[in-house]
Amino acid sequence: MAGRIEARLAELGHELPQPMAPAGTYVGWTRVGNIVHIAGQGPVRGTVIPLQGKVGQGVSLEEGREAAALTALNLLAQAREACEGDLDRIVRWLKLFGLVNCGPDFGEHPEVINGASDLLVEVFGEAGRHARSAIGASDLPMGIPVEIDAVIEVR
Amino acid sequence: MAGKIESRLQELGIVLPEAVAALANYVPWVQSGNNVWIAGQVPLVDGELQHIGKVGSGIEMDEAQAAARICGLNIIAQVKAACGGDLDRVVRCLKVGGYVNAVADFGRHPEVVNGASDLMVEVFGEAGRHARFAVGAGSLPRQVSVEIDAVFEVA
Repeated sequence: MAGRIEARLAELGHELPQPMAPAGTYVGWTRVGNIVHIAGQGPVRGTVIPLQGKVGQGVSLEEGREAAALTALNLLAQAREACEGDLDRIVRWLKLFGLVNCGPDFGEHPEVINGASDLLVEVFGEAGRHARSAIGASDLPMGIPVEIDAVIEVR
Repeated sequence: MAGKIESRLQELGIVLPEAVAALANYVPWVQSGNNVWIAGQVPLVDGELQHIGKVGSGIEMDEAQAAARICGLNIIAQVKAACGGDLDRVVRCLKVGGYVNAVADFGRHPEVVNGASDLMVEVFGEAGRHARFAVGAGSLPRQVSVEIDAVFEVA
């Protein structure tokens, strides 16, 4: 039986990608008590990176937002593993840290990372509202436009 | 009756700003158990962003440190809100993350972020001593010179 969050994802037309294998000597998530730390995720579908480049230089603000939304789906894919397949066990999204691949004078990081925050609030409602930091990076692994990591509370 | 920390603030001549709403679709703090995550704070004074620009090119060290201190004051305002107005409930400042919008080969990020770290120790004493990272960001939201987030333990 699909859980409440799975049903909500389906209703919104979101399909979770396969959890991305870590790009180095680390794991996708760790858990201590009720807190799960999720490693930095990117806008990937399995092994495919649909969009590479810098936001504001080749990648538009809207494409950056979409990349952040896809990154949120990858965070969800990791979270689902951490919850042994049951996304209803997520109590709260606590903190997102968003990195935007952009030039030195870019200033619209909040609008880009909103792509992820909006998706989490749409799917989880109040439990999707998190604290957040967003910064610009002069480069990101594999040229991805956005990278986001997260801390969540689970039961 | 003013609490211990409120008295300390008075003694230091510090008037805390109002805790401000988030810049985008997130919340300024989230609590899980005894931990409070504070979203990235920027040098916002009375609704106006201050100290806009690149550290090492236009923004010099003393100004960057002042910006970091304002971020720190905004962090304390948020943790006060999280504690229902009672700063004596702060058990410990656990972690500070400092992001400096600096030129590419700037190396003095620790001195900049000390603007916030020194404030935490001035206000909270031993409980204000935290683990920390300080990094250079390629850019920051709205071109602010410094952004700082934090994790606190509260009673």
